[in-house]
Amino acid sequence: MKSSRTMSLSARFGVFCASLGLFFVLWEVAALSSGSSLILVGPIPVLQALVALLQNHLPRGTLGIQGANAAILQTLATIVLGFILACIVGIPVGLIMGRWKTAEALIDPWLSAAYSIPIVILIPMLYFAIGADFYAEVFVTFLLTVFTIIVNTHHGVKYVSNALAEVGKSYGASESQFLAKIILPASMPDIISGMRIGMGRAILAAVLAEVLMSGNGLGGMMMTFQDVLNTPYMMAVVFLIALMGIAVLQLPKVLERRLFRWKGTESLSREIRR
Amino acid sequence: MKSSYAKCIILSGTLIIFVAVWWVIAAALNNPREIVGPFQTGTAFISLFTDPPLTRLLIAGLQVTMLSILLGFALAVMVGVPIGVLMGRYLIVDLFCDPWVNIWYSIPAIAFVPLAMNWTGVSATSSVIIAFLITVFTVIINVYGGVKNISGSLIDSGLAYGATQTQVMTKIILPAALPNIMVSLRLGISRAIEGVVIAEMVFTVVGLGGLMDDAADNLQLALSGALIIILAIISLALAEGMKYIAGRALAWKESQAMVRE
Repeated sequence: MKSSRTMSLSARFGVFCASLGLFFVLWEVAALSSGSSLILVGPIPVLQALVALLQNHLPRGTLGIQGANAAILQTLATIVLGFILACIVGIPVGLIMGRWKTAEALIDPWLSAAYSIPIVILIPMLYFAIGADFYAEVFVTFLLTVFTIIVNTHHGVKYVSNALAEVGKSYGASESQFLAKIILPASMPDIISGMRIGMGRAILAAVLAEVLMSGNGLGGMMMTFQDVLNTPYMMAVVFLIALMGIAVLQLPKVLERRLFRWKGTESLSREIRR
Repeated sequence: MKSSYAKCIILSGTLIIFVAVWWVIAAALNNPREIVGPFQTGTAFISLFTDPPLTRLLIAGLQVTMLSILLGFALAVMVGVPIGVLMGRYLIVDLFCDPWVNIWYSIPAIAFVPLAMNWTGVSATSSVIIAFLITVFTVIINVYGGVKNISGSLIDSGLAYGATQTQVMTKIILPAALPNIMVSLRLGISRAIEGVVIAEMVFTVVGLGGLMDDAADNLQLALSGALIIILAIISLALAEGMKYIAGRALAWKESQAMVRE
C-alpha cells in the first residue's frame, strides 16, 4: 500500500505545479486539435482578450454593446445588491425559523419546494411581470440567493448545541441576550458559510438574468461574442465569470478556516449544501 | 416530529395560499401581457394533454429534457464516483485533482453554456455536456469527503486480517462511504436538472425549457406557465425519487446518515 498519508510541502507544491502545467498543456492541445478557432482557442489568445477587456477595449464589429468596464460594473452591482437584499431578508427569516417551531412549519414547504424545483424556470415569466431592467435582474438575483441563505441560517440556529442553550437559560438570559450572546455566535459559521454559497448563487443568477432578460452586463456581452463567433473574447468573458465564482467560493473558505478554528471542522465539512 | 396529518394540512394550506396570492395579483394587475392567473394557466395545462399538436410538442420536449437530465447525471456519477474514491484513498491523486475539482466546482453553470454551444451547437448534446459539467464536481467533492473521513481503524483492521486492495475497496470503503455517495446523488440530480433547464432556456429551441421560453416569447404566457408547472413536477419527482432510492440504499445503516445531510 503506497498511499503515504503525509507528504513534504515541496512535494505537494510540485504536484500542484504539475497539475497546473498539465491543464494548460491539455487546453492548448485541445485547441490545436479542434482545428478551428471557432470551436476552441488556446490560453494565450484568451488571456490577451481578457487584458484588452479589462482595459476597456472591445473588438471591432461589436459596437452595439456596452463598454467592457461598464458591463463588468453593472454585473458586479447586480450581484452585490441582490446578495445584500438576500442577506437582509434571509438571515432574519432563518433565525425566526430556527427559534420558533410554528414559523418553521409554515415556511418549510416553501423552502423544500424552492430547493427541489429549479427557480430559474421562473425567469421567462418574471421578464413579463417585472420587466427586464437592472432592478428586475437584482430581483432575480435576490430570488435565487435568498433560499440558500435561509436554509443555512436555519440549520445553524436549529442545531446550536443544547449544552450552550441550557447554560444560557439556567443563568437567566433574556431572549435578546440569548439571541445575541449564544445563538448568533454559535451559528455564525453556518451563516457565513451560507453567505459564501449564496454569493456563488448570486453570480450565477445575475449572469443568467443578463443572458435571458436585458442582454446587458457580462452575461449579455458573453452571448454577443458567442453570436458573432468571436471565440477569444467570448472565452475571456467566461474566464472572468469563472474567476469571480472561484474567488467568491474558494477565498472565504480560507478565511473561514482561520476565523472559526474554535468551532472545529464542523462547518467546513457541512459545506456540501447547495 | 410532526404527524403526517398536520404536515398534510400545512402543505395543502401552503398550496392554497400560493394559488390565492397568485390569483389576487393577477386579478389586480389584470394585464394578460404581464401575468396570467391560475385559471388560464390551468386551462393551458389541460390543453397540453387534450390538444393533439400541443401534446406532441410536449411529449417530444419531455423526451429530450428527461434524456438530457438523466444522461448528464448518469455520466457524472460514472465519472465522479470513481474519481472521488481515488482522491479520498490516494494522497497523490488528491493533491493532483483537488485544486481543479474545487475550481471547476466554483464556476457558475451559465459560463459553460456558450462554450458548449461552440463545441456541439444548439442541441441536446450541449445540454448533456452542461449537465455533466455542473454535476460531476459536486459528486466528486461529496464522495471524496466520505472516503476521506472513513475511520482508519476500519481499513487497518481489514488489512490486518489480510484483505486485498480490491476487498478493502468493495467491502470497507464503498459501504462506509455509501451515505455520502447517496448525498452526492441527491445534490447531483438537482444540479443536473438546473443545468439542463438553464441550457434549454438559453438555446430556446431544445426541450421543455426551450418550449417554455419560446411560448413566453410569443406572449403565450398561460402555456409558458403550464410548462413551468410540468418542469416543476418533473424536478419534484426526480428529487423525491432520488430521496427514496437513498433511503432504501441506506436502510441497513441507522438513521444517522439521513439526518446528517
